[in-house]
Amino acid sequence: MTIDSNYAHPEALVSTEWVSEHLKSENVRIIESNEDVLLYETGHLPGAVHIDWQRDLQDQTIRDYIQPEAFAALCARNGITPGTTCIFYGDKSNWWACYALWVFQLFGHENVRIMNGGRDKWIAEGRPLTREVPKFSPVTYPVPPVRRDAEIRAFYDEALAQSRSKSPLIDVRSPGEYKGLVTHMPEYPQEGVLRGGHIPGAHGIPWKEAVNADATFKSAAELRKIYETDLGLQSGEKIIAYCRIGERSSHTWFVLKYLLGFDHVKNYDGSWTEWGNRVGAPIEKSV
Amino acid sequence: MSYPPKLSAIIALFSGFSDAEKRETLIAYADQAAAQEPISGETFDLEDIRKDQECTDTVAVFLRLDSSGGAHFRITLGPQVQTLTRAMSAILCKGLDGLSPAEILEVPADFVPKIVGAELVRLRSQTVYYLLTRMKGIVKVWLQRKRASSLALEDGPSQPSL
Repeated sequence: MTIDSNYAHPEALVSTEWVSEHLKSENVRIIESNEDVLLYETGHLPGAVHIDWQRDLQDQTIRDYIQPEAFAALCARNGITPGTTCIFYGDKSNWWACYALWVFQLFGHENVRIMNGGRDKWIAEGRPLTREVPKFSPVTYPVPPVRRDAEIRAFYDEALAQSRSKSPLIDVRSPGEYKGLVTHMPEYPQEGVLRGGHIPGAHGIPWKEAVNADATFKSAAELRKIYETDLGLQSGEKIIAYCRIGERSSHTWFVLKYLLGFDHVKNYDGSWTEWGNRVGAPIEKSV
Repeated sequence: MSYPPKLSAIIALFSGFSDAEKRETLIAYADQAAAQEPISGETFDLEDIRKDQECTDTVAVFLRLDSSGGAHFRITLGPQVQTLTRAMSAILCKGLDGLSPAEILEVPADFVPKIVGAELVRLRSQTVYYLLTRMKGIVKVWLQRKRASSLALEDGPSQPSL
């Protein structure tokens, strides 16, 4: 399957075929990022490294991401230099691959791509997996001068201001979560949130709208219909996406920024686990 | 808290492991999950096949009671079930094998972090507790039916059978 050239940034996606041909390319690093904590160890793409959303990307004592020094160390031990093309893939239709890509963007690593269809597509096509963990010679990754939170990350206050100004807020959770009928994601246990509903004024567009049955992204035309024609998003608008902890909204963030070319999209990673528990946060329910 | 002997042995095995060794051993258990599926021709006293909201795919639990009242489980897991949950199915099928239904209901869930380790028990891996709940659930239903059946017998043949 070829990548739709009508995407705003088609270069942000690579096909499984492309990855298959570049498994041994020196300047390419394949990165698996999953929800299933042990999935990488059961078998992964040859040469792929594992970056775990919680262990590797999050601060272990503060609800926040790692600092630039830790990011540089993470890259160095995985053989990634600033010039390395990082190809992300994973389970769950690439939720965590998009999340990891978004975190790499927080540190200004621009040379990033998603393998369209993720791990499931690779396996469905009968492509090889291995349990061999690759080893790389130590490399140097300069410590990024800043973490670019202000550019692509939204915090509570910003999401609240967005709500009050009736600017685009996209709730990418399931319809039941959006409506406040359930306080957990379908097929998952309760993740500790007090109230159900959504941020006032948020539009409910589940992340799943953006993908096909095989986890590949829908065509540019289909995505434009969903987000531009039907939802009414306009070029130049500031947009904030959220879910429960920021992974599904990373997926939508990727769609809006790279496939549709919206320049001012932010991911509110505090999402519903912050908003739904926060004292004084207004919520809206719908039926 | 004391655990059943077979489960205790597995907990003891894991307690001596580093995090890396724990992961490796969990993968080995996950690899054995398919071996816990029903064998052709096997019969069971109770089967519970369902797709719950709390789990990413269908889980089928099969219960057989031997002549001395010991419970034996078989489990089938859908392809989307997480690796940790697969590992736990093999661990629980072995660890609870032969216990009485009453003993199974007494097994506390706090052994899970002892086996899995703190690093892996996290948001989005909580379904690791789900299987024990399902196994206790089927045992509870079996006990309820047994009690109901006993009561029906005590009350004589005029009572409707369950």
